[in-house]
Amino acid sequence: MQRFPHNECVSESSALGLLRMSDKAESPTETQKDEPSTPQQPTEDSGMADDKKKIDVLLKAVGDTPIMKTKKWSVEKGRTVQSLSQFISRFLKMEANEQLFIYVNQSFSPSPDQEVGVLFQCFGSDGKLVLHYCKSQAWG
Amino acid sequence: MADDKDVLRDVWFGRIPTCFTLYQDEITEREAEPFYLLLPRVSFLTLVTDKVKKHFLKVMKAEDVEEMWFDFEGTPLKWHYPIGLLFDLHASNTALPWSITVHFKNFPERDLLHCPSNSVIEAHFMSSIKEADALKHKSQVINDMQKKDHKQLWMGLQNDKFDQFWAMNRKLMEYPTEEGGFRYIPFRIYLTMSDRPFIQKLFRPISSDGYTHTLGDLLKEVYPVAISRDDESKRYQVVIHGIEPLLETPLQWLSEHLSHPDNFLHISVIPVPSD
Repeated sequence: MQRFPHNECVSESSALGLLRMSDKAESPTETQKDEPSTPQQPTEDSGMADDKKKIDVLLKAVGDTPIMKTKKWSVEKGRTVQSLSQFISRFLKMEANEQLFIYVNQSFSPSPDQEVGVLFQCFGSDGKLVLHYCKSQAWG
Repeated sequence: MADDKDVLRDVWFGRIPTCFTLYQDEITEREAEPFYLLLPRVSFLTLVTDKVKKHFLKVMKAEDVEEMWFDFEGTPLKWHYPIGLLFDLHASNTALPWSITVHFKNFPERDLLHCPSNSVIEAHFMSSIKEADALKHKSQVINDMQKKDHKQLWMGLQNDKFDQFWAMNRKLMEYPTEEGGFRYIPFRIYLTMSDRPFIQKLFRPISSDGYTHTLGDLLKEVYPVAISRDDESKRYQVVIHGIEPLLETPLQWLSEHLSHPDNFLHISVIPVPSD
């Protein structure tokens, strides 16, 4: 299994210039109350750590869209799809007017403000969330 | 069952009386009168407010008009959330008509998505339906439909045609008899007191040993704060389409009858009013 390129994750944050909406999602506010009761001991720290946790995302190109050299990324749960999409566009050095479409399960396009953590919970498999990206509409 | 079909109609035809007032700092050539409209709970703001735009444009210069957006008591209203959800979440216990402020400047980029045309609304709506079916049927039902069937779902919503919509949507509400229900229930729980947009997780309507899960079971699992213990007074209301369904209601039934046209159960958890 390929080691996650942590240095690239750091540059991810700076490259993105931190979209405000994902900022809001990251700030831990009432997270402890929101966490469902689990058999583990929910300490203050583990509550915060859960919120800061990252999920693994595997990016797959569709059609003749350029393939990213690094496909596997460790992304914070609160990052939005829009934030990730902008990152991919910059990574691929796309023009400002070029659109990027993101797909989950090769079937639907999540809303730009959707958090990747939620997508991972509902549509992740084998410990990762697979996202397909395309410069044109692939699955309508 | 005749009663259950009535529920589908009641949900579809739910309306919220709304008063649209132009933001005081907008530049007008004459006084702008408020505009009254009955908003469909199951639709989207940008889909049903052409009349509002036309009304206020009558007193404004073209150069002072950018993309229209709305706020309620200072909170920008997300057009991509169903209208009924926005009302239940932000204005449940306020007096009717719902008072919404209209803006044509200073679009709040960090709070709202842009909506340049109806095709954006259609794309968002269809994506939600596809996501819901991914959860319910591993996308099998929606993928078996033709493109014209998908179009019929959208046209039904856009033109407020209940029969046209449900002729297709009923297929998305079917499930193999032996399963007893959908694979997972498409739901989102919205909280007013949290920075998280909503809670969405995998949750089965029927447990592996055949037990029928209720609304209460769902909340206990994903947001137990919403359910008050016996020894304390009720702190939260759990609202769907403006009503508080009994917590004993089977989740499968709720999914089939109280989902929005996008096939999601949009559930608001709001504090009980303190007056």
